[in-house]
Amino acid sequence: MLHERDGHLTRDLLRTPGGFGLGQVPAKRKPDAATDMVCGYCSTGCSLTVHLKDGEAVGLTPAAGYPVNRGVACPKGWEALAVLGAGDRAVTPLRRDAAGSRRPVSWDEALRTMVERFKAIQAQHGPESVAFLGTGQLPTEELALLGALAKFGMGMEHGDGNTRQCMATSVVAYKQAFGFDAPPYTYRDFEESDVLVFVGANPCLAHPILWERVLRNRNDPAIVVIDPRVTETAMQATGHLAIRPKSDQTLFYGLARLLIERDWIDRTYIDAHTRDFDAYAAAVEPYTLDRVAAATGLETEVVLRLAETIHRGRRVSFWWTMGVNQSYQGVRTAQSIINLALMTGNVGRPGTGANSITGQCNAMGSRLFSNTTNLLGGHDFANPDHREKVARVLGIDPAVIPTRASWAYNEIIEGILRERIKGLWVICTNTAHSWINQGQVRDVLGRLDCLVVQDMYATTETARMADLVLPAAGWGEKDGTFINSERRIGRIRKVARAPGQALADFSIFKLVAEYWGCGETFRTWRSPAATFQILKRLSAGQPCDITGIDGYDTLDEHGGIQWPCPAGESAATVRTERRLFEDGRYYHRDGRARFLYEDPRPLPEPPNERHPLLLLTGRGSAAQWHTQTRTAKSAVLRKLYPAQVYVEVNPADAKARGIVTSDTVRIESRRGRITATAFVTRSVQPGHVFVPMHYQETNRLTDAVFDPYSKQPSYKACAVELRPVAAVG
Amino acid sequence: MTASGSVLPIESVPARTPEPESGPESAAALLDRYLEEQQITAAARFAQAHDAAHTGGPALAERYSALMPATPPAAGQQYAFDVDLDACSGCKSCVAACHSLNGLEERESWRDVGLLHGGSQSLPVVQHVTTACHHCLDPACLHACPVEAYEKDPLTGIVKHLDDQCFGCRYCTLACPYEAPKYSRSKGIVRKCDMCSDRLAEGEAPACVQSCPNGAIAIRVVDVEQVIEESETHLFVPGAPEPALTLPTTVYRTERALPRNMVPADYHAVRPEQAHWPLILMLVLTQLSVGVFLVERLLELLVPGALTASIRPVHSASALVFGLLALGVSVLHLGRPRYAYRAVLGLRHSWLSREILAFGIFAGLAVVHAAWSWAESAGWLGRTGGWGIPGAGSPIAAGFGWWLGWGVVLSGAAGVFCSVMVYDYTKRDFWNGPATAGRFFLTTAVLGLAAAWLPLLIVAAGDDAEQAGAAIDRYGAILCRGLIVAMAAKLVFEAALFRHLASRSTTSLKRTAWLLTGALSNVTTARFAAGLLGGLAMPGLLLSSRVPATPGPGQDLAFLVLVGMLFAACLAGELLERYLFFAAVASPRMPGTL
Repeated sequence: MLHERDGHLTRDLLRTPGGFGLGQVPAKRKPDAATDMVCGYCSTGCSLTVHLKDGEAVGLTPAAGYPVNRGVACPKGWEALAVLGAGDRAVTPLRRDAAGSRRPVSWDEALRTMVERFKAIQAQHGPESVAFLGTGQLPTEELALLGALAKFGMGMEHGDGNTRQCMATSVVAYKQAFGFDAPPYTYRDFEESDVLVFVGANPCLAHPILWERVLRNRNDPAIVVIDPRVTETAMQATGHLAIRPKSDQTLFYGLARLLIERDWIDRTYIDAHTRDFDAYAAAVEPYTLDRVAAATGLETEVVLRLAETIHRGRRVSFWWTMGVNQSYQGVRTAQSIINLALMTGNVGRPGTGANSITGQCNAMGSRLFSNTTNLLGGHDFANPDHREKVARVLGIDPAVIPTRASWAYNEIIEGILRERIKGLWVICTNTAHSWINQGQVRDVLGRLDCLVVQDMYATTETARMADLVLPAAGWGEKDGTFINSERRIGRIRKVARAPGQALADFSIFKLVAEYWGCGETFRTWRSPAATFQILKRLSAGQPCDITGIDGYDTLDEHGGIQWPCPAGESAATVRTERRLFEDGRYYHRDGRARFLYEDPRPLPEPPNERHPLLLLTGRGSAAQWHTQTRTAKSAVLRKLYPAQVYVEVNPADAKARGIVTSDTVRIESRRGRITATAFVTRSVQPGHVFVPMHYQETNRLTDAVFDPYSKQPSYKACAVELRPVAAVG
Repeated sequence: MTASGSVLPIESVPARTPEPESGPESAAALLDRYLEEQQITAAARFAQAHDAAHTGGPALAERYSALMPATPPAAGQQYAFDVDLDACSGCKSCVAACHSLNGLEERESWRDVGLLHGGSQSLPVVQHVTTACHHCLDPACLHACPVEAYEKDPLTGIVKHLDDQCFGCRYCTLACPYEAPKYSRSKGIVRKCDMCSDRLAEGEAPACVQSCPNGAIAIRVVDVEQVIEESETHLFVPGAPEPALTLPTTVYRTERALPRNMVPADYHAVRPEQAHWPLILMLVLTQLSVGVFLVERLLELLVPGALTASIRPVHSASALVFGLLALGVSVLHLGRPRYAYRAVLGLRHSWLSREILAFGIFAGLAVVHAAWSWAESAGWLGRTGGWGIPGAGSPIAAGFGWWLGWGVVLSGAAGVFCSVMVYDYTKRDFWNGPATAGRFFLTTAVLGLAAAWLPLLIVAAGDDAEQAGAAIDRYGAILCRGLIVAMAAKLVFEAALFRHLASRSTTSLKRTAWLLTGALSNVTTARFAAGLLGGLAMPGLLLSSRVPATPGPGQDLAFLVLVGMLFAACLAGELLERYLFFAAVASPRMPGTL
């Protein structure tokens, strides 16, 4: 009574050996089974061991033996199960009635409504007047079924994915340079480099487990970060080049010129494996040190030192993410990086490569199999042979396959505005939050005759605008495969019950096919496992050939398998980690990589008198994922970042405006204004401000400008002004 | 064993029930089948994996072995967290893993990550700081705990919390400068990091250690002497509270020289702290009660015969009622009030235990005193004379009454002193001993003088208006003047804090002043308004109008209103002052986030 050392409260925290190699776990959650699956957030593709008790997931830990993450995960991964139980999950279909309010309806009614309305729109405005927007978050099997159903079953012409917002630039850059969308690296390259150059990338927050791989590097590597901000990664690097935003392309042309000038290039490699180098050398000739210094704001000797570092490095790898991709000239900037790797012979060997780190867990699957820009399996809509092959594999009439690629995301939005598109099906993405210049896109979505949103949560900004909400099961509630950044195919599984009547997206697509009347076309797409076999056949003969993988069990046994894995090279014999182009043969018909370039262009919206500051956007923390649709549902993750949107501002700019940290400030661009909390810090340069992208307000400010080749939005630089709220009239 | 590591289903069961052989299903049948299949859980589909393949211990053991101590601590040593700041890249997995691997509540984690930033424009520095319990050599939580719910393990040095012993007073959360103990509202207790002692005992790494992708957190053995020595000479980590207070053992190491201008990201954030209403009421009402008893004693001393037989018992009784109310309310503060009786266990070290004991004695004596007063004035003591008990008016009885009265006051004053020490112990500047003593004892004076009118009101409202009038004649002016002096002193004392607004550096008292004049400015205004009204205006009016020398029928109401307002405004003012005492304190803490 007086000194209780035991009781129900003490027992609540007891730990006990969990078995399955887990070490101790909370006694109240001791598993009776366990299974591994790939995480559903970013493209790192960590594997998580899900602890099961009486058939329900009761916890998870990072999988110890998986070659990607080897027992560690970021906070999102740790909390992956927690977000499934949120109270605002969509549990029944919802339909907006004539009065504008949403009411639950049966699946039957929802599917009938969707089919009737889409068919009516198509009857009136033509088949291409209904489009879809997909995602990089669904498993490949679901993406392929969606793309096939929409285009070959429902007659749609246009569909794109939110991967347009993150990866389109790399896709185009690789396709043009290498002949196929093929990130060449394997994660071991992080460990084997002696020089790592990160461009517009903050892996410490964006891909924490990849940064873990960097720290495993035993070569005492030079780590150079090229980023306008002092990010976590810049802090950890051995060198940080705080360049002016969007001056990276000039910097790399200048570096190319220096390397050529000093003969620090690999002539043998260039001659054997590339094309158009001499023209490139001529093109970079005008990029003198002084010009580079003036454009980037760097000291000339800093640029010289980087050239020297690249020259001295025996295994130099270049890594980029959104700082490059989300730009009005992203493709050429990415190619300026690829060019550096090619001319120094830093491709195809351990620790080398021009390497784009992907964003979403299955962006890579989407790139190959979403049937939007590419025909299923990385094929070309315009190529009759490709259409013929795909039609044969799927047992369909080649005539139903469109002869051109879809409109890109921005063109679909524009299509709505031009009244070419009247019906839109949004699957597992949140356009009304994440698309650039949000005020405009919300207005555009509002003009649709019919908006169908298929999501786990009925509360996303986009779902709230929908005429029809279809409740979807999430990661952990369904089966399939993801492809990660290093081309590794890994499994996801159903370990939790979906709430209410939520269904796996795969099931929803199958039902839509049935209600549409084209169910017969997709009869062989029986299940995700059966679909995987279809994907294999589609990949045959492509660079991404995976015909050597028997099925899901093979993936389990090998800790995921990287493509390519063609039939001859059975999964059992391939190495755990492989890189591309070890033989120097690229995917262009002549086997040679291309040098591609173009003069850099000025900022579309440079700071001006009215809006003198440059707004940078990006990831704010490792605990937030994109529009926070899922991560905001975990109480623990919510502790790890500020609840309200904030803006990082340099002390000089803050002082000039009478702003101190924690003040409420108004940020204004030509397109909108938002209120945010000020964080005065030297991690942004004078003249710049930084706002994380995860808060729904952020994109009210951004400027809808796109890369001309990749159509990727340029989220990273637009002009704004900042004022303390009290001073705002 | 397979390449994919720890866990695999042993055999694969077909994922879906086979389709009916006889032709395609109808759409409706397909819908039903999908809805049904969606609810089939993993257990039905995965064969249970055997544990046999994993007899070799945790699969991660090799990964974290270098982060574990080579030997257990010897005499004069203990375990400590060792944080490599250079390796921390700010992913915060440690926070999520602590939550998950320890099976904590929805929002609960025993580890936090803050942010430091500074440096120059040419060399800006950003540094994340992970922090949990520092398993201090001199743990403030342990000393503060009134129920002995903390133990410092003599071998490992781990500061452990006994959850079933805790009664949820939350004093440790005020005493710990590092916010290590976390209160659980649903459980009514505090819980905290135990360095995963069960894991350590088996050679397994704590949750945070095994989860850090970069191996930034390790467990090391530290020398107690060295911890003490370093608390003198080293900064613990920039922005953290003084290590000398509790001797935290965590070692924060970096190869880089952190610039001297590093400040936490929340350095400028001024957020009101939680105001604990039961504590506010408890403090103010105990002080009121002690004050009324004190005023009674002083009146007896200064104005002999002032308190007549009809007034004295009402006076004692009203003081007693407030005192008991205060103690009753204070129990409501506890997360698990039914264990309130454990409160005295920590008497040897906890000011909270001492406060509770002192007020317990005070309440006991006050009951006896009130009873004695009633008995005395009712003449019962005379009747007991025949039983061998000294009768009323006997010198022995008078002496007993006198000592009893002072006993109540002294025990009450001791209680108020303990209250002061409860807050002084937390080492928060706003709560420092002299200032808090001034605050609490002035409240005692102010409310003692203000509440001394209540018995007069009660008596006047009864049939003894004359008695009351006579008493007011005798000492009403003393009460008024005393109140004006006490309240004026208190308001000046409180307002003196605003001088810190002019301070150049952001001291904790400047933060308090910011809060008082910023986020809490409405409360501050109300507090001063109430003080001026009840402590200066009302007594001033009473004095100047001489109302009511002898409350007559016409003046009853005016008297009632004036005195009622005086008391109500004084009480409200002190309650608001105490609200601000809690809400405006700047608590020490580890570097936080925006």
